[in-house]
Amino acid sequence: MLYRLSHVTSYEYYEPVSISHHALRLQPRQFSFQECRAHQITLDPAPSSEHFFTDYHGNHVATVTIESAHRQLTIRSAGVMEIFPRQRVQPLETPAWEQVRDLSRGGQLGAALEASEFLFDSHYIRTGDDFADYAKTSFTKGRPILDAALELTARIYKEFTFDPKVTTIATPLGEVLQKRRGVCQDFAHLQIACLRSLGLAARYVSGYIETIPPPGKSKLAGADASHAWVSIFCHGYGWIDLDPTNNLIPSTQHITVALGRDYADVSPVRGVIVGSGEHELKVAVDMEPIADDARPSESRPSQ
Amino acid sequence: MNCPSQPAAIPNSGPPRLFAAYQPLPKIYDESVGTQGIRPHWKAFASAFEKLGLDELNARWENGRKVIREHGVTYNVYGDPQGMDRPWELDTVPLLISSDEWRSIEEGLVQRARLINLVLQDIYGPQQLLRSGLIPPALIFANPAFLRPCHGIKVPDNWYVHLHACDLARSPDGKWWILADRTQAPSGTGYALENRIVLSRILPEEFRDCNVQRLARFFSFQREALNRLAPRHRQNPNIVLLTPGPHNETYFEHAYLASYLGFTLVEGGDLTVRDRTVYLKTLEGLQRVDVILRRVDDTFCDPLELRNDSFLGVPGLLDSVRAGNVTVSNALGSSLMESSAFLAFLPTLCQHLLGEELKIPSVATWWCGQAEEQKYVLQNLDKIVVKPAFGGVLRFPFFGRNLALQDREDLVDAITARPFEYVGQEQVAFSTAPAWAQNELEPRGVVVRAYVSVGQDSCSVMPGGLARISSRSGDPVVSMQRGGGSKDIWVLSDNPVEQLTLLLPSGQPIGAVRNAAELPSRVADNLFWLGRYAERLENALRLMRCVITRLSDESVSHGQNEFTVILQMLVILERIPRRLVGRVAYKELEHELMQLVYSSTRPGAIRELVLRMRQIASTVRDRFSADTWRILNQLQLDSRSRPGRLPLANALALINTSIIDLAAFSGMEMENMTRGHGWRFLDLGRRLERASNLAETCRAAFMADRTPSPVLWPLLEIADSTMTYRRRYFAQVQLQPVLDLLLADQGNPRSLVFQIHALKSHLANLPKPSLSRTGSESEGKPILPLKEPSCAAIEILTKQFLEQRREPLYAFLKEIETELSSLSDHLTASYFSLSLPRMN
Repeated sequence: MLYRLSHVTSYEYYEPVSISHHALRLQPRQFSFQECRAHQITLDPAPSSEHFFTDYHGNHVATVTIESAHRQLTIRSAGVMEIFPRQRVQPLETPAWEQVRDLSRGGQLGAALEASEFLFDSHYIRTGDDFADYAKTSFTKGRPILDAALELTARIYKEFTFDPKVTTIATPLGEVLQKRRGVCQDFAHLQIACLRSLGLAARYVSGYIETIPPPGKSKLAGADASHAWVSIFCHGYGWIDLDPTNNLIPSTQHITVALGRDYADVSPVRGVIVGSGEHELKVAVDMEPIADDARPSESRPSQ
Repeated sequence: MNCPSQPAAIPNSGPPRLFAAYQPLPKIYDESVGTQGIRPHWKAFASAFEKLGLDELNARWENGRKVIREHGVTYNVYGDPQGMDRPWELDTVPLLISSDEWRSIEEGLVQRARLINLVLQDIYGPQQLLRSGLIPPALIFANPAFLRPCHGIKVPDNWYVHLHACDLARSPDGKWWILADRTQAPSGTGYALENRIVLSRILPEEFRDCNVQRLARFFSFQREALNRLAPRHRQNPNIVLLTPGPHNETYFEHAYLASYLGFTLVEGGDLTVRDRTVYLKTLEGLQRVDVILRRVDDTFCDPLELRNDSFLGVPGLLDSVRAGNVTVSNALGSSLMESSAFLAFLPTLCQHLLGEELKIPSVATWWCGQAEEQKYVLQNLDKIVVKPAFGGVLRFPFFGRNLALQDREDLVDAITARPFEYVGQEQVAFSTAPAWAQNELEPRGVVVRAYVSVGQDSCSVMPGGLARISSRSGDPVVSMQRGGGSKDIWVLSDNPVEQLTLLLPSGQPIGAVRNAAELPSRVADNLFWLGRYAERLENALRLMRCVITRLSDESVSHGQNEFTVILQMLVILERIPRRLVGRVAYKELEHELMQLVYSSTRPGAIRELVLRMRQIASTVRDRFSADTWRILNQLQLDSRSRPGRLPLANALALINTSIIDLAAFSGMEMENMTRGHGWRFLDLGRRLERASNLAETCRAAFMADRTPSPVLWPLLEIADSTMTYRRRYFAQVQLQPVLDLLLADQGNPRSLVFQIHALKSHLANLPKPSLSRTGSESEGKPILPLKEPSCAAIEILTKQFLEQRREPLYAFLKEIETELSSLSDHLTASYFSLSLPRMN
């Protein structure tokens, strides 16, 4: 699948801003299942300096500074991505979740060491009994990890309502669990908290999903802005992505931009400005197929 | 407490036998006295100390306290409203350590600094220690002090910790143990230096005769080491000391070290990053910064990549470190090694990385992140201190045996839920050292903080350090936050010590290179407001004196009319409510006036102004001499008194003393401050405020009194011009000469025209502004368009006023006030850093 990608973030400042510094995590990563054919970030006004580096988790970061006074700022990220179907894992073949948990403790070899990065609390995610209890309904004794994780994904999808009005990034996860409402960010954080509370490694994935649904299908939730989902680690299989907002295993409709422990590690636009007023923020995202490829046959969520 | 209560020596029968009477605690090592009596390296000191006699010792102790107050050595205690600027506590008895013993401590410290650096190199680099299992992943990955954005960043010479500090304590068997490492921004070297200065002053002969090793070399080594950290080895690098600001617990030390080492003291807002390079915002534009000696914690240093709620840091700092354009010392991320959990792994790591045993062991530590250790801690809670494994500086340790049943269960639950967040540590019985307790010596628990400065190819250990003692003789916790005291550490030398003066260490002279242009905009801003508040305070004092003398002193027979007019003035100046004029209960008026003197919260009250002035002064205290600071301290102390039973008389006394204190402050400023831009901004603030107060007071006076003779004399009093008036015009008070003297007389230093001339001269000498509200290059220097009040103009205004056309005078004065206020705004926009960075 070939997609054209566009992500526009614009700020309007009520008072002029004299300097702004931003760290942008907008350039999609390379994986076996996705290739970045072209990508470009443009800013208006143009930055006085622009530098690129790869962060600790392997994400592409651009640091930009605007030194001239400005009242608005537009950040455009545009690119062409090719997405390949991922290897499908049979859920019932995966090892029992307790076995994965025990291997994760103290695992220091290769991928296991990398996975142990994602076992612990992070900025937005603090594990606890309430999350473990919620997860345990699905994580019954001896159940294969992916089978259990898929049920957890489905439960979050069914039991939680997508509602952009009730939460902000600052809403504590406990409140999301209680209110059973939120957006993709909250659901991803929540599912990660559940998995980590059981001693399993889980990471946060930021990216996009296809904006225009195929004929006859409804639009996926979270398509208007950048999307988020989770990835769970299983020894022998590596990382497996799960999208609790849409109850599916991401494949050719998802583009991965960045990975981290939670939103704090991957926020697409993070900035510090020098100025005194308030601001208004608008975000527009588009992910459209550009070649009429045959779609891989896979089950799609019914919405 | 089991303090020895035996009476000390009896005075008047030879020297008091203080050390013979000194009783250490049982089963605890005492630094000065062993089973054989006084330890050999204490003998010379002990006899010299005793020879001074009780009276002399108490006098010297008192003297020491006085020096500390005068130097303004303070320590802020968090969470205590009275805790700001708590005077530093220093004991008269130093802690003596023999040269042999110190040598072995030195070796241990240097080994430790190397070891800790190797661990940091690995964790922020290849992470082999994790792969090989020498460090469990949770120790790093669950640790909030491991800063992922700092991973992979190259630091000069691959060295992270340039100043390393260890807290050491001695166990009952006489061996030293390391309790903790301070690796990100160790505090205390400035206090250690100040302790030395005070103690060598109050015990000069003892200090000389004991051959005490000097501290100066350590500081010049440290300064040289920082010089060499400059990127691309720039010559004469620009080094700044980054402080979180006056509210930090050790702010005194930041200001003190900055001026001692000759670095510019800056706050985060003083620095800016342009094209991955750090600059200092000075009055004359941006100046490149090469090295940042930081006293801001790791996570607060850069809101862009680290904690985004931090207002203390510099956005983009980490990226300029990444680009190799600035060096931060100690390197960002080094707080990782302060985690007490590491203590459990250092012996193995030392073997692995250095092939040696740890020369000084750490206090026995069990990290609950490991199953066996967790079990041991839970089973031995009674014997063990439980502490956070990862920093958490402000959380107190739990002493298992002191906990109530419920608290104990909660602790067990907390450990079981997140084992890797806890360590158990052996409870160490610290050694004691004698401390002076009015006429006798008392044993107090002691912890030594020792420092290693690491240079390019060598290290320097400070010969001495900061000893902290417990607040009571049986208290197991030694903490400045909990009110303990400190001691100077005397490391003895076998040979006479080479004479080195502390203030000018050998090598280069210190502090001689500060460029006058390096005045951070924030400092200029604060000096400007300090000038304004000093003047505002003086005006308030004179105004209140004018009112209170008339209310209290019957002999001043100015009549009821004059008093009513002054009250009217206070109403117009919005100091008191209108209902208080006319028939009013005397008590209510008195109460209101006392509020205007003593309230620390009411805007414009004398106490409130003193506190504000003091607060602003503390943000720029590295710019003031010790004498100036002493005057400011005195001003604050003097304004602290209470109304008591004679409220008016006491208030008057307070006002008179404060006027004199303020005069001393102004005198210092006039006579002692270098005539650089700093002084210029202070004086600008003062002149601007004086001019504006004068215009406002005159306007209020002539609105209150339309005749206007009763108000003239009080007006001259408030403007401090009665003497001049008497000289010039004898006692006859009339409108025109009064107005002339106050507004247009160029020879009267209190007159409006005098202030305007001074303002114009300052403005002409200001540098070209580098900032403006819009961030673009500014339009040019601010100007003062104000017409100078001339004698002729005054004559016309007087005539009109006396003909009942008062508006022109009011309008004239109001215009001056407006002009001055827009000048102040203009200065702010052109020279001072207006806004702090915030998250987008």
